[in-house]
Amino acid sequence: MIKGNGIKLLFVLFLSMLIVACSTEGSVESDPEDNSSDKGSNDNVVIEDEGNKRDEIVIAVNENFITMDPHNSGDRNSNAVQGAMLEGLIDERDGEIVPVLAEDFEVNDDATEFTFYLREGVVFHDGQPFNAEAVKANFERITGDQSLRLYSRGFNDITDIDVIDEYTIKITLSQSNSSMLTKIVPARMISPKALKEEDLTRNPVGTGPYKFVEWVPGDHLTVELNENYWNQGQAKVQKITYRPVPENGARVAMLKTGEADFIFPVPTQNLAELEEDENIIVETNQSTIARYVSLNTMKEPFNDVRVRQALNYAIDKDAFINVVMAGFATPLDSVLPSTIFNYQQQELYQYNIERAKELLAEAGYENGFTAEIWGNTNSDTVRGMQFIQQQLSQIGVELEVLSMEEGTLSERIYGGHGPEEAEVEMWYVSWGGFPSDTDHAIRPILGGNSFPPAGGNSAYFSNPEVDQWLFEANATVDAELKRELYGKVQQKIYEEAPWIFLASDENLFGRRADLEGVYVTPNGRIHVGYAEIK
Amino acid sequence: MHPKILILKGVAFVLRYIFKRVLEMIPTLLIVSIIIFYFIHLIPGDPVRLVVGPDATSEEVSMIREEMGLNDPIFIQYMSYMQGILQGDLGKSLKTGLPVMEMFENRFKNSIYLTLFSIIWAFIIGIIIGTFSAVFKNKLPDNIGMLTAVSGISVPGFWLGLILIQFFSVQLGWLPTGGADSWKHFILPSIALGAGIMAMIARFTRSSLLETLGSDFIRTARAKGLREMIVIPKHALRNSMVSVVTITGLQFGFLLGGSVVVETVFSFPGMGRLLIDSIAFRDYPVIQALLLLFSIQFIVVNLIVDILYSFLNPKIRTISS
Repeated sequence: MIKGNGIKLLFVLFLSMLIVACSTEGSVESDPEDNSSDKGSNDNVVIEDEGNKRDEIVIAVNENFITMDPHNSGDRNSNAVQGAMLEGLIDERDGEIVPVLAEDFEVNDDATEFTFYLREGVVFHDGQPFNAEAVKANFERITGDQSLRLYSRGFNDITDIDVIDEYTIKITLSQSNSSMLTKIVPARMISPKALKEEDLTRNPVGTGPYKFVEWVPGDHLTVELNENYWNQGQAKVQKITYRPVPENGARVAMLKTGEADFIFPVPTQNLAELEEDENIIVETNQSTIARYVSLNTMKEPFNDVRVRQALNYAIDKDAFINVVMAGFATPLDSVLPSTIFNYQQQELYQYNIERAKELLAEAGYENGFTAEIWGNTNSDTVRGMQFIQQQLSQIGVELEVLSMEEGTLSERIYGGHGPEEAEVEMWYVSWGGFPSDTDHAIRPILGGNSFPPAGGNSAYFSNPEVDQWLFEANATVDAELKRELYGKVQQKIYEEAPWIFLASDENLFGRRADLEGVYVTPNGRIHVGYAEIK
Repeated sequence: MHPKILILKGVAFVLRYIFKRVLEMIPTLLIVSIIIFYFIHLIPGDPVRLVVGPDATSEEVSMIREEMGLNDPIFIQYMSYMQGILQGDLGKSLKTGLPVMEMFENRFKNSIYLTLFSIIWAFIIGIIIGTFSAVFKNKLPDNIGMLTAVSGISVPGFWLGLILIQFFSVQLGWLPTGGADSWKHFILPSIALGAGIMAMIARFTRSSLLETLGSDFIRTARAKGLREMIVIPKHALRNSMVSVVTITGLQFGFLLGGSVVVETVFSFPGMGRLLIDSIAFRDYPVIQALLLLFSIQFIVVNLIVDILYSFLNPKIRTISS
């Protein structure tokens, strides 16, 4: 009897599991909040109906979105999505500052007063008017809310925010800072009502061409066209769904099947198969990323400039680009990538083993030396470090490659020790920023005040002249003078070689051939403001 | 005794047993939570530094640490964390600022479904293959079955996943490549995830069934003239199930923790990837909550397996009671 019941119970258990499983299928499908639930079945229709005009697109990126709070985020994917919904007073294009919500702006001569003349007739997605009071509320949040300190530190110098009239606002700084404009670019405007009432990490209410619909973290984020956009007719696609797809192969497959209309980044190993497909277009542009190996200039043998130059001569940059970057990069011929404003080309350290050996011998290292090179566990990083190890072995420099998990690596570099105790010798790393912010592309990683843990100067490079020029350049609005000062800075740093200058990455992005107007900016943000299906 | 009374007695016994086991969970979870909390804070790496990046000054970093309560003694941090948990508050992610509970909601649901789909098909197919292999030992069905099983175990999940995508999504266009929007999205991931488990179950079923088939009571059953259709499922298979249920239960527990590889290949929003991302960022509240949840899941699955044992094998029940 009991035996029989046992079997029955087991059976019932299994049946109920099956029923649960089946009913969940139904509930997933009929979930009223899940607007995209029918997308699965639409995906394939897309392929068949290639001729018909679509008005919704899917964009696949490689990482999850972190937060929708524009005043508290710095990662490129979150910023890109925020950019579809929220706008700042100004934006940058090709390294130049261009007006957006401000029609015009003025900066006084010593770069302490910034006056913005606002666009009239703009409304937020919730119907609130955009005016000087709204701007003031946003800046007050950025400077006043302590929990935003992670990203709002660029605004520490702001002392006054004055509403001059309904559409004019003046921001006053305690000290000169001409790169303040670039800091204002990502300070996107949120409706003052939402500032008070909404959870900003989840619900951004701005003035942009797209309105927020929903965000299921880890799965997708959807926005739809803003019917009341002040700049009507720019974007034409009705709805955009962003999906984080970390696996390279899966992202490529989505573009091929038409499940995604735009992917970024395109993995280089899949380039050939995508280029074969006539429905797909792969594009590249130069990024703002500088890829380098920092050399601890306070440690032997890297304290000798000849050694540092020798290491630069010993690396074949073209081979590096082909082997490690799959050809999608350009040699780094200044401390700045060419996309950063005020970039000036320097004379490249041409691959020259003999010259490298001579310099090493002059410095007293004719037999070479041994050192450690650090980097994260990313497979591209490891490949890069191994390439450098191989190249430097030609001049007798034996490297030990230490690839460390990001958190551990960060602890060993920024762990709070003074410059003398720093263990780091060589660090394979990269730095990227905003095209218009020359200061940010140099000072935090090579300024004399930026030694870890106060900054990212893992080369412990400190040159009083460079520091002075950087200071002067940041304190003036005179474009000519800036250019001259940054020219001197670049020349000096390239000569002093606190890094092995490697390459500047290219952005690689792919789109369905009928999608136009979506592109990736040099600093890696996907721009959808002109999205249109042709 | 009347059969109904017997069933009621059985149910009461099971309920009492479950209640006892649930009570036993409390000290286990307490100890687990202490270990988790302490060890997570021992990993080198500062969440604040990882979030703010290199251009923050050390004063800024230490002020933020202070605000987040990361400078308090670890014991104080633990107490305030447990206080939150008891009030149903798992805290907020250091990285995203979202409440941990909210980050779990969808992912947890997805992971449960994916696990159920994977385990159910793996269990059914695995037992069928295993049974056929055992009954037709060293004949063609056995060879085919075991070939399938060996492939299932040896093929890496991510490779199988990419092949499935290539075939069913890119070539045929039948199924989506990733996501978790509808039941269609669960098919390919659950195949990729269940393949190895199916293979394992098939092998366990086969060896266990072979052992049972050689035992005396099976010979008796056959000698009685019972048909193989009765002997195999009713007598032999049921007595071979203990080890199979054990391995299925263990796998079930592991799967509930999410599978990083399959979730990554299919851009599937589940628990595994969340854990990896959180560890990389030292997002303490999220890691703690995830590990606690995994512990609870494992304990619950173990409990279910133990209850199943007592149905499968009355001997075990007698001993335990």
